[in-house]
Amino acid sequence: MRLNIYRYDPERGDPPRMQAYDVQPEAGDKKLLDLLMRLRVQDDSLSFRRSCREGVCGSDAMNINGRNGLACLTALDGLKEPIVLRPLPGFPVIRDLVVDMTQFFAHYHSIRPWLINDEPLPERERLQTPTERERLDGLYECILCACCSAFCPSYWWNPDKFIGPSGLLQAYRFIADSRDTASAERLDFLDDVYRLYRCRTIMNCTEVCPKGLSPSHAIERIRLALLQRSS
Amino acid sequence: MRLFTGQRAWVVQRLSALLLLVLILLAMLALPFASPLDFSAWRALAGGALGGPLIALLFGALCAHAWVGMRDIVLDYLQPRGLRLAVLGLITVVLLGVLARVLLSLAMVALAA
Repeated sequence: MRLNIYRYDPERGDPPRMQAYDVQPEAGDKKLLDLLMRLRVQDDSLSFRRSCREGVCGSDAMNINGRNGLACLTALDGLKEPIVLRPLPGFPVIRDLVVDMTQFFAHYHSIRPWLINDEPLPERERLQTPTERERLDGLYECILCACCSAFCPSYWWNPDKFIGPSGLLQAYRFIADSRDTASAERLDFLDDVYRLYRCRTIMNCTEVCPKGLSPSHAIERIRLALLQRSS
Repeated sequence: MRLFTGQRAWVVQRLSALLLLVLILLAMLALPFASPLDFSAWRALAGGALGGPLIALLFGALCAHAWVGMRDIVLDYLQPRGLRLAVLGLITVVLLGVLARVLLSLAMVALAA
């Protein structure tokens, strides 16, 4: 199979370039990551992240034929050749397909992604009804791969100020949690022209989420929660 | 100033869009039957007890909607702080000017009637 891969090594000082490769998949190679691993045997200078190889760690997110996705979940069957691989758009490139996620995780940290509850600890655990637990479905599954944020034009324009679809999905995960008592503070933090309201409901995030989640729906729920609170 | 930031701007944009939709639909339905649409007909409409306030509301909604939309474009595409403030100021002055001109004209027509 023919691949065309973005290559950039800042230590060498050369400008970024696209490099063509020919790799033959072997029996059992089903996903793009299998092919990349085979390619690395040919050229060990090629850099990309990967870990769990089954869509759980989110580390092998990249731009595949113009669309963000996880290499480990992208089937080789049906991929148009040459397969064009680029780093996540809008993120600073460290080397080849490896991007700097510092800002992305700073946004994630800013929404305080942990349960806040100052009430006395129960003897065993904080209980939820099945309905309360169901509200977290479609939210807790986010693996922070950044496919959504890196495909969001609003995030490209204001990456330092807009929290981005991934961070906002995570923010709503805690606002929606019946065990969390800091919803008002969380909503106060998000009610900002940049943090939340840069979202234009373009819905690229929902389009590319490799886990099938809908950050744009979560963002809409945050807006409605803000509206309900002020009415 | 939080009047036009965050949630408030978002609500203003949506409410003004709704108002624009209703008023434009109303105009599209009513105006074809108000023939002939000459100067005196427009003048009567603008000076009327219902027409004048509706036209003021239409332009008010249009200016508010345009301000939020233009502000969004400026916040996305113009990064230098000075340029951003200058363009936002210019947009505000132009939209306020348009609104003031419309209100002034409506008041003059109403007084002359």
